[in-house]
Amino acid sequence: MTLSIVLLILFSSFARAEWRFEGETGVVYNSNLSNSDRSADVRDDWAWRSDISAANGLQLTRDLRLNLGADMRGEVWDRFDAFNTIGPGASAGLRYRFGLGRQAPWVLLEDRFGYDRFHTAQSGYDNVLNFQTGIALSDRIALEGGYAFESFVSPNDFYDRQVHRGNARMVFDVTSSLQVTVGYTYREGDVISYAVPPRPDIARFSIEREDQDEFGQPLRTAYKLLGRTHALSFSIAYQLMKYASVQLGYEYAITTHDPLQYENHLVEANIAVAY
Amino acid sequence: MRPSRGFVVLTVLVFAGDLLAGSLEVIVKDDKGRPGSDAVAYAVAAGAASAAPKKQAVVDQRDKQFVPYVTAVQVGTAVIFPNSDNIRHHVYSFSPAKKFELPLYSGVPAEPVVFDKVGFITLGCNIHDWMIAYVAVLPTPYFQVTRQDGRAVLKDLPAGQYTVQVWHPALKGQPEALAQRIDVGGGTKSLLFTLPLKHDVRAKRAPGLTTGGYR
Repeated sequence: MTLSIVLLILFSSFARAEWRFEGETGVVYNSNLSNSDRSADVRDDWAWRSDISAANGLQLTRDLRLNLGADMRGEVWDRFDAFNTIGPGASAGLRYRFGLGRQAPWVLLEDRFGYDRFHTAQSGYDNVLNFQTGIALSDRIALEGGYAFESFVSPNDFYDRQVHRGNARMVFDVTSSLQVTVGYTYREGDVISYAVPPRPDIARFSIEREDQDEFGQPLRTAYKLLGRTHALSFSIAYQLMKYASVQLGYEYAITTHDPLQYENHLVEANIAVAY
Repeated sequence: MRPSRGFVVLTVLVFAGDLLAGSLEVIVKDDKGRPGSDAVAYAVAAGAASAAPKKQAVVDQRDKQFVPYVTAVQVGTAVIFPNSDNIRHHVYSFSPAKKFELPLYSGVPAEPVVFDKVGFITLGCNIHDWMIAYVAVLPTPYFQVTRQDGRAVLKDLPAGQYTVQVWHPALKGQPEALAQRIDVGGGTKSLLFTLPLKHDVRAKRAPGLTTGGYR
């Protein structure tokens, strides 16, 4: 539905189109791809991740902007190719600024709908409704915060997930070329944790479970459960040239559902281009 | 027919003035000794009334950038802001010396903006946050913007005493604090200015980490 509306408006608005093309490619490391609590079950991996998008910005009034975009995302994991994915998506967002200029407070309401294709039963449709707001405290410091609801629907119900996420972060322009952010995210919703059975302690509170071979031998059981995640993140963007920057990011996340608790360290390095 | 005495005296004075007109080379460096480009060097004559501004100035918008980055004009100059891109821009200024807004437009606005008060004006585009430029509105017709090498030459200065100042978008403090006095006669004189500059934290065009800007 979102996709067809976006495409319709995209093609009907060529006359006033302001196109923006973005691409991002790089690597991501997840220290605990299996979301496991016991160190013997933990599996880490690297992935090559890419994302390209085209967006059409329509300035409807002085303060209101409509952005319509289409994108293609993909991930290729080094060892655990069951997690390789590719999929198209479409997004629509309305941004309102309370005044002129980049320091004016703003709110953004955005929806992205996409399809994530795995070569396993994990494939499904992903929808993220995002509300974000921000304000610049000075020409160097800005604060952002928001809420997102994410819903993933798969033909295999086991992979259906619903997640609520709140975030806050500070963006600091160190120099004209260097930008740093520090952020916090609270996430509550479905997670899938892999463990070598038997794990009656997890089975007791898991919503569903399935035996999986995504991490090879020994076979693991995937437990779907409600988890609460606290994540701290730190990222740096350095402008290489007019249209390109290099971005580095780190996130520490701890997810709990008593008595289960697991940690993830995520490291990302990307080159991003926008034209 | 013999020329009148008054005509002779006037002719002599004009040629004498031309002979005494001089040039002033202003060299600008930052406090680390690097050339200070995009600085505005201007000379104000002691006690002399300024001539009326002579022409319009142009601040263009090309490839989602203001061109030039720094423009210097004499107070009273009309500045036009053509949009050479095939998209719309929305130019604004919050600066006390000239607050104005040119709402979303393409092509050339019907009316120029007259800068009728001395001061330093920051320009922005409400659509493209990285677009930024400056207009220095000066009480004198004698000014130049420094080149990449940090140099500017003020030519055809009538003989006399001048107060020379330099302004830069990243200048810490006011240009008056660094003012220098100089007597100009025939030939070229030179002045060196060392400017304390703030970090340049202009918004970036390359993809960054913020979500609110261009989206």
